[in-house]
Amino acid sequence: MARVDLQNVTKDWGTAVAVDDISLDLKDGEFVAVLGPSGCGKSTTLFMLAGIYAPSSGDIRFDGARVNDVEARDRNVGIVFQSYALYPNMTVLQNILFPLRFKKVPRTDAEREAREIARLVQIENLLDRRPGQLSGGQQQRVALARALVKKPNLLLLDEPLSNLDATLRLSMRAEIRRIQRELGVTTILVTHDQIEATTMADRIICMNAGRVEQIGTPTDLYRAPETTFVAAFIGSPPINLIDARLAGDTLEIGDKRLRATGAGADHGGPVKLGLRPEHIREAEAGSATAGLAATITASEPMGRETLYTADTPIGSLHFLEATSMPRLAPGAKLSLTFDGDDSLVFDAATTRLMHGVCAHV
Amino acid sequence: MTAIDWNRLATRARRGRRVRSGLLLAFLTLVSLPVILPFFWVVVISVSARTGGVEAAVLWKACAVLVPCVLAYAGVHTFIASVRARIIAGLLLGGLCLIGLYVLIGADLHLNNYRFLVNPNLIEDIRGAATIGGQFPWVWEAFGNSLLVAITSMTLKVIVATLAGYYLSRFAFRGRSFFLQSLLLLEVFHPWMLTIPIFLVIFWVGLLNTLSGPILVLTVIDLPFYIFIMKGFFDAVPWDIEMSAMTDGATRRQAFRHVVLPQVRGGIIAISVLGFIKGWEEYVFVTALRTGNSYWVMSTYLYYVAEDVMGVDYGLVAAVSVFYMLPSLLLYLFLQKYLTQLTLGGVKG
Repeated sequence: MARVDLQNVTKDWGTAVAVDDISLDLKDGEFVAVLGPSGCGKSTTLFMLAGIYAPSSGDIRFDGARVNDVEARDRNVGIVFQSYALYPNMTVLQNILFPLRFKKVPRTDAEREAREIARLVQIENLLDRRPGQLSGGQQQRVALARALVKKPNLLLLDEPLSNLDATLRLSMRAEIRRIQRELGVTTILVTHDQIEATTMADRIICMNAGRVEQIGTPTDLYRAPETTFVAAFIGSPPINLIDARLAGDTLEIGDKRLRATGAGADHGGPVKLGLRPEHIREAEAGSATAGLAATITASEPMGRETLYTADTPIGSLHFLEATSMPRLAPGAKLSLTFDGDDSLVFDAATTRLMHGVCAHV
Repeated sequence: MTAIDWNRLATRARRGRRVRSGLLLAFLTLVSLPVILPFFWVVVISVSARTGGVEAAVLWKACAVLVPCVLAYAGVHTFIASVRARIIAGLLLGGLCLIGLYVLIGADLHLNNYRFLVNPNLIEDIRGAATIGGQFPWVWEAFGNSLLVAITSMTLKVIVATLAGYYLSRFAFRGRSFFLQSLLLLEVFHPWMLTIPIFLVIFWVGLLNTLSGPILVLTVIDLPFYIFIMKGFFDAVPWDIEMSAMTDGATRRQAFRHVVLPQVRGGIIAISVLGFIKGWEEYVFVTALRTGNSYWVMSTYLYYVAEDVMGVDYGLVAAVSVFYMLPSLLLYLFLQKYLTQLTLGGVKG
């Protein structure tokens, strides 16, 4: 269990930069998710922490001590690979014992520890099998047991759930979280699945093209995404992002003008307006503000709620209604509105959130 | 709509399946005949021929018993579905076969042709002490030398090919692709084309007339191909597993030994078998790299038994052939499943 710091870490292979100047610090026992699309450098970051890749520049510290030059085998880091990477020539028990073999743990102690950890991840009845005879979920548990048996400073999970079917994924999510809390091990989960990240992690590091876009709690990332990338990546169905122009206290979208607050009178330029589908609703009849005249073009029942697509003066918008039965048919006309506090305005040039700036219908 | 007669359709399908498998069996038996017959004949000669002549009659009599038995067993397989009944029929036919053989040719069988195994001075006993300077050895000496050549060159080949294959599969270094291409290029030239230069090299380094000569030459000739095979097997082992072992506290060498190597076991066994047999059956280089009778191996022993010494004692020649054949045959029989993996690993390379 350790505190982990990355300071200005960069990894490049010649001209290809995989990880570009990232800094983050993990508290002892924290569960952090690294979230991003494939190729954003999240696995590279993981492998640098494990000691498989050496950073091109920057420092990696465990409990304040620089470990850049410490070999992978000496870092005492547990990894669960996406493929699980179990040793096919060994039984489950031998797989779990493998890390202890190099720590010179006496055989009887090692077996006891291995059985203990096997009980924790509930595979004690599979110890004599070979990995080839196990299902995906069982292999996952074995990989987890093998990573945990050495009491790692740091547990790294590389897309651990992506090879499981949907129901199993749900239960393993809770399971991994339970085990992590029980052992209090500092954990980094790498994933491209936002649900996995938001449900499991204390904090999320959202990465894109080798850079950190935002670090924060799942709520932070959802409520106040720092960049359009984070706004678009977090949330399902995805946020509506509309090209607009800010001019003092008005927001121009095509011919339509919305009222803007929070921006200086002299402030202007191209911006993007972000509206989450669940924040758009039908305007109450006879309310003071006019709302956006909308025509429904598609409705998709999603189980608990319904996702509508509507044509409005500010473009095509997705919005959600918490009804399981679609209420509106394509072609239906209605008036849409949203609360100004829920709207997000991003600077189009820097893609960054303009704090305090809101749009009102 | 007329009712469909499912029973009739099922009967027809069953009959069709049986006829097809019967035809297949007959076809396979037929095409394997030319392969099996010579071997069978050699075995028959070795246990029946007496000095000076070959009794073709023994072969025909043996065939007269075996052919009906094999045909009958094929018939049993085609027309009887129960596995139990098949086994019983097989045992019965086997018994019948043995009895038939005993009655027809039992009196002709003898092991006299195998006397070379126990008689150290076979040739002298037959021809007198002067034969090729009295240097013709006991068969076990040639056997030992052949074993030495086969096992030593096999071991060298396996060690070098495994390590080189791993390195080529895992490490990027300057000239890697050139190296791989030249490995393939070497396969274009038949090694026999190189006999004279190889002879000169071996002569200059002073290994002429020693077993080290053929051992080294055989090793080097096969290496490119074996390296390529092993590279293919290593390519099929995922990187993750190695990385995992290294984060589990293993050094790269320990990861290689405990985790990677066990997964290319099939490839190692396959090239071991091939390498052993190549050394075991080698004739060209063991002959070319000696100028007198400085060493004997099984192939040269067989050659002299057939050509120089015996003239027409086919019984003895056949017996030596059978003895020479046995190790390769046993290896193939027990390890053929690894040899079939070879294509798999090779294609991936």
